[in-house]
Amino acid sequence: MRVVIIGGGHNGLTAAFYLAKAGMTPLVLEQRDEVGGGAVTGELHPGFRCPTLGHHVSLRSDIAADMQLARHGVEFLQTPVDACVPSAGGPPAVLYRDDRRTADALRSVNAKDAAAYAAYRASLTAVCRVLGPLLTSPAPAIDEPDARDVWTLLRTAQRFRALGRRNAYALLRWAPMPVADFAAEWFDSDLLRALVAAPGLSGTMFGPRSAGSALVLLLHEAGRLLGGGLSRVRGGPGALTQAMAAAARAAGADIQTGARVERLVVNAGRVSGVVANGREIPAAAVVSAIDPKTTFLTLVNPGDLSPDFLLKMRNYRASGTVAKVNLALSALPAFTGVAGEELLSGRIHIGPGLDYLERAFDHAKYGEISTDPWLDVTIPSIADADLAPRGAHVMSIYAHYAPYALRAGGWPEVKELLLKRVLSTLDRFAPDIERLVVAADVISPVDLEARYGFHGGHIFHGELALDQLVSMRPVPGCARHEGPIAGLYLSSAGTHPGGFMSGGSGKLAARRILSIPTFSGRTRP
Amino acid sequence: MYDVIVIGGGHNGLIAAAYLARAGRRVLVLERRHVLGGAAVTEEIVPGFKFSVCSYVVSLLRPEIIRELDLPRHGLEILPLDGTFTPLPDGDYLWRVNDHARTRREIARHSPVDAEAYDEYGRAMVEMGRFVKPILGMLPPDPMSRRPRDLRALLSLVQRFRAMSREDQYALVQLMTMSAADFLDRWFETDALKATMAASGIIGTFLGVRSPGTAYVLLHHYMGEIDGAFRSWGLPRGGTGAISNAIAMAAREAGVEIRARTAVAQILVRGGTARGVVLDNGDELRASTVVSSVDPRLTFLRLLDGGALPGDFVDDVRRYKFRGSSGKVNLALDALPDFTCLRGPGAHLRGAISISPGVDYMERAYDAAKYGRFSRHPYIDVVIPSLTDPSVAPPGKHVMSCFVQYAPYDLKEGSWDDKREEFGDAVIDTLAEYAPNLRHIIRHRQVVTPLDLEREWGLSEGNIFQGELTLEQLFFLRPAPGWAQYATPVRNLYMCGSATHPGGGIMGAPGRNAAMKILADTAA
Repeated sequence: MRVVIIGGGHNGLTAAFYLAKAGMTPLVLEQRDEVGGGAVTGELHPGFRCPTLGHHVSLRSDIAADMQLARHGVEFLQTPVDACVPSAGGPPAVLYRDDRRTADALRSVNAKDAAAYAAYRASLTAVCRVLGPLLTSPAPAIDEPDARDVWTLLRTAQRFRALGRRNAYALLRWAPMPVADFAAEWFDSDLLRALVAAPGLSGTMFGPRSAGSALVLLLHEAGRLLGGGLSRVRGGPGALTQAMAAAARAAGADIQTGARVERLVVNAGRVSGVVANGREIPAAAVVSAIDPKTTFLTLVNPGDLSPDFLLKMRNYRASGTVAKVNLALSALPAFTGVAGEELLSGRIHIGPGLDYLERAFDHAKYGEISTDPWLDVTIPSIADADLAPRGAHVMSIYAHYAPYALRAGGWPEVKELLLKRVLSTLDRFAPDIERLVVAADVISPVDLEARYGFHGGHIFHGELALDQLVSMRPVPGCARHEGPIAGLYLSSAGTHPGGFMSGGSGKLAARRILSIPTFSGRTRP
Repeated sequence: MYDVIVIGGGHNGLIAAAYLARAGRRVLVLERRHVLGGAAVTEEIVPGFKFSVCSYVVSLLRPEIIRELDLPRHGLEILPLDGTFTPLPDGDYLWRVNDHARTRREIARHSPVDAEAYDEYGRAMVEMGRFVKPILGMLPPDPMSRRPRDLRALLSLVQRFRAMSREDQYALVQLMTMSAADFLDRWFETDALKATMAASGIIGTFLGVRSPGTAYVLLHHYMGEIDGAFRSWGLPRGGTGAISNAIAMAAREAGVEIRARTAVAQILVRGGTARGVVLDNGDELRASTVVSSVDPRLTFLRLLDGGALPGDFVDDVRRYKFRGSSGKVNLALDALPDFTCLRGPGAHLRGAISISPGVDYMERAYDAAKYGRFSRHPYIDVVIPSLTDPSVAPPGKHVMSCFVQYAPYDLKEGSWDDKREEFGDAVIDTLAEYAPNLRHIIRHRQVVTPLDLEREWGLSEGNIFQGELTLEQLFFLRPAPGWAQYATPVRNLYMCGSATHPGGGIMGAPGRNAAMKILADTAA
């Protein structure tokens, strides 16, 4: 039975794999010339290869195991350093993969914080483990929970109670909190607070004082736990998605690139196929692995949706806040106070305090790019030397904040200004870095939309805000991977559990389709 | 020997006392200041001019309290405050009144689409209010408890939520989590309308209109009820102190003894049980139950010996966020302000006058506070009570109450005592942009800073709600997880102030709920 999957990003490939494995024959249609969506490795400059978009990929380890990605050539890389924040005038704060080593290293920053670190990790890990079953199960239906929902909720409730009063209350308190308050509950050092808080803000329309950002941090951490803490792949994220495509093909999926889906064919409220490159392809079911706004606002005839649903979809917040800057460097830059290449091997956080991040965010509220941007940097060529010529490096930067909708000017002109600000900010922490730049590429939120199809340029296919999560992601009525149109399924990051390149949405959507007798029935002899 | 000693004679303390006395308990209320009412007081700062110094309007006072304590008989009279007038910098204005048809026409003048949406919005908010209102009077269930009472209460909440339509469920979740600006964006396009409505979402919090979580505070302020009319604001005749006085009279009639100018220095604890209080002058007063209406920081970190409390609880109390963000400027005026956009002493001056011309304006006011400065162009909510209630000013003269946000408790530079007049000037300058004659009609100006609120009114960090109304400090988390049912880790010591569920404003629900809990606990 033919199922068409729109979009060959990691979620589309994950869905394709599981459907093929169950005996169906999914066809993945990818508009670009390569699969991978936001997880691709591109040649930035001759000899320099770089994660074009996402550089943190935390594919769930169960999905990696099911797809046997190791057999398809995936090699996960582990760096000893998780994150490092250079300070303008003192020693950096460093988080190692090993908690004890982190605590030892933090002593040079703040003795009290060093002592608090172990308790912080223990509490955070305990709390985030509770979120596991919620993220790996379908979003429970609010109005009519079925037996499985009740089971998931009970299991979550049980784990919640097993946390003990202290951590259980912590979870309830933290979720709606601003990440600045969360970090301040644990640590005194502003440098460390900023470093710890940052994952709660990345890619979102949140500043550190925005309530709800702590939840994003918890989701991020829960995702890391489900991914086994592995986020780097030799050859960059593109190598991972190439292997996922190989695994899907091996299971029986068909993948076509350069195939742009123009619209869905809907008859009497049911999807009967898609039109791609001007040709109609019939399908028993269609899985949209692209973002919900593009799906419903551009691929579907508005007449096939209720005005109320359309209004909700238009109100779904998916306006991007981050630009990508990729640099080819002739040598490894030297960051002031940061000794040795090991410290630069993880995430390098440029934003030495909570107020710094908040000020950067202030601009986004008024539709401007930050004067002093907050940069989330990696130098993937440290752990994976093949990405750049000998001695040279590539630097991959998420530049916050860069709002999709600018109040003044358009992105084509603003890109140059953004690059200038990124380089001058880097220069304050890594003097003379500008001399090392061989090539630079800036990808604005508008480019993310035009080239990669992310509506509003939002890297998570929609804000990870409390009212746009779980049973309300993307909007009520289609949170369980089925839309208001029969035969149309949703598997992008714009559905539960959303974001961070976990593959979770793809797997859940496939599971939903396979739970329907008409589909699963055919698969059994 | 008393049955109950109540620390603090604010409206919640007095309400708790009144209910306890009506149930036959021998109750003593101790108030540190010379006047009862806490932040709901009327004070004659200049002869003939009576200021509602802190809290200045009422809408949330629970109707069952008005009824049960028979407050109208004790002199409570609430006069309607009609409308909200928002002057705009471009010479126009937005003026909403209680007359629905007129408001619709006025909004349509700015945007016909918004006029349509206004009805739908009102309907949705009433639904939300219906869901939340019964919660105001309930004992917040503890999600970690296995007691049948807590489980039943949790279950009933789930059932009531499920009984709502899917649309309303969605709207409620949005309301609990979104920012006021985002929430209103879904309904309206007129900037001034959104800004003025969003203002209710930031009152008393250290948040901006674009901060997630502010939509709930908006609802909190939407639930007012006067004589059964949903969502209307009023002015007590004689100022907000008149509310406190009426409650005090009801309490005295029920047998409560009230002592003003009597400061408590310490809560007496023996063997983990509260036994009474020690006064400033060293006197010991015994009681079998002590109820504190002051905030948790004062109650647990000042009045109690730290050793009496579990360490976790002390951590929670220390973490509890106050972060006062507002101040007050009270003016005695020789004449009425004259707004350039709508001249003369019209009915627009009888309601609230809101300086909230746009969402960005509000947000920039907040930005200043984030970095430890008061806003140079603040959000100001003005009322001129003397127009509705002439008894508060000499004939022909007026009092004007200006609630101002943002005024952060923690200033980056200087202290509030140095900045007081500068802050007052910023408020007058801002108002004078819309009503230039204001500068020339001021006879007296009283500036109340967050530091004043702390020192004089005992509100830690100047927070008018005894702690922020943010999600992590509401319902079963207010003021501390596991201690949201008015009891404390010290036996026979209870809390009944705005720092307990359901929070601040002249609502009275914390005082009433606490009294019910105490009566239930001590019935046997």
